Amino acid sequence: MKLISLALVVLLGGLFMAATADFPDWGDPASPASVHVSPRYIEKTMEETSVPNIVTAVLADYRGYDTMFETAVVFTAGVACFLLLRRRDPRPGPERIYRHQATGVIVEMRHKPAKEPAGEVFARIDDDWVPHDLIIMNVCRLLIPFIQLFGLYVIAHGHHSPGGGFQGGVILGASIILLALSWDLRTAMGRLSEAATGLMSAVGVFIYAGVGAMCLAMGSNFLDYEALGPLMFVDPVHARSLGIFFVELGVGLAVMATMVLIYKNLASEGRLDQGL
Amino acid sequence: MDWVVTVMLALGLVFFTGAAVGILRFPDFYSRLHPAGKMDTLGSFLMLAALALQELSHFTLDNVLVAVKIMLIVVFYFIASPTATHAIVDAGLRAGQGAWHKPPGERP
Repeated sequence: MKLISLALVVLLGGLFMAATADFPDWGDPASPASVHVSPRYIEKTMEETSVPNIVTAVLADYRGYDTMFETAVVFTAGVACFLLLRRRDPRPGPERIYRHQATGVIVEMRHKPAKEPAGEVFARIDDDWVPHDLIIMNVCRLLIPFIQLFGLYVIAHGHHSPGGGFQGGVILGASIILLALSWDLRTAMGRLSEAATGLMSAVGVFIYAGVGAMCLAMGSNFLDYEALGPLMFVDPVHARSLGIFFVELGVGLAVMATMVLIYKNLASEGRLDQGL
Repeated sequence: MDWVVTVMLALGLVFFTGAAVGILRFPDFYSRLHPAGKMDTLGSFLMLAALALQELSHFTLDNVLVAVKIMLIVVFYFIASPTATHAIVDAGLRAGQGAWHKPPGERP
């Protein structure tokens, strides 16, 4: 069996190497990609979409259908992680652990208390790894708003500089994950609950597909943003730019929520009750 | 202005080189974090400030904007980098990583 796989790998690898020799050279101006498609984008993007960043225009407009399903793939990954990892059975060991804030004494409870104790006297902690560091907690609390502001900037400024929905969504998701790392999972869950992440990742894809369907309803092709011009009271060229912005918002939402969803399930073994 | 920029860039390089040598040469986890945390911070401050000064040498609104953005990076780096080093040391201590001691009988 191993010999067969080795032979297969060598054969296919050899075929692959032989095939790459026929590729055009890197940056070859006479290669097919540089002759037909690229000049068209480079020359026409500005007048057709008024978006200076050609990459964004190609990603979200000329090839918007492709990107819609990329967003759907992100959403599907989140759903798959949820279905594989999420579990309802209770964790073995004590039900709740609290730290008395003034003395540092740890209290274990076998059963769920009828009423949560006041947070400033007893703070709930995890049972295995309890980072409780004032410097890290407060510096992260200070930095997270700026990280989120930068994430929004990356989403909204994708027209003019490197960026867009995927990158900005990852930055936003990372800010929530940083909150979970520096405080704990429950704090992050308090900011963005499980239902919210699930809903937001679906709504992100829905916004993207909805913008496309709206174009269809306005009597044009799917994801042909020009048709949205009359709805937004702008000329067709600006409608393209704004349409790109809307689908980028959807992408950002979906990516952020999916990242947080996957992280929560991985960090807490699917129980979402404790973890970093 | 060019001279100031050049000197700051060179000084930044010196600090980065020191950090790299320190990470390679220091004996254990905690002492290696010392050059990584301190000299990287100072080195990147010098280099980024030099870049901001270089931008300001042609004084237009766009360049000032770029310089302000670069200095913002410095501000956030100054907050985040020492905190990250602190977090790594904290994690090492909690995970039970011991500190290095000089072997007995060795000459200083």
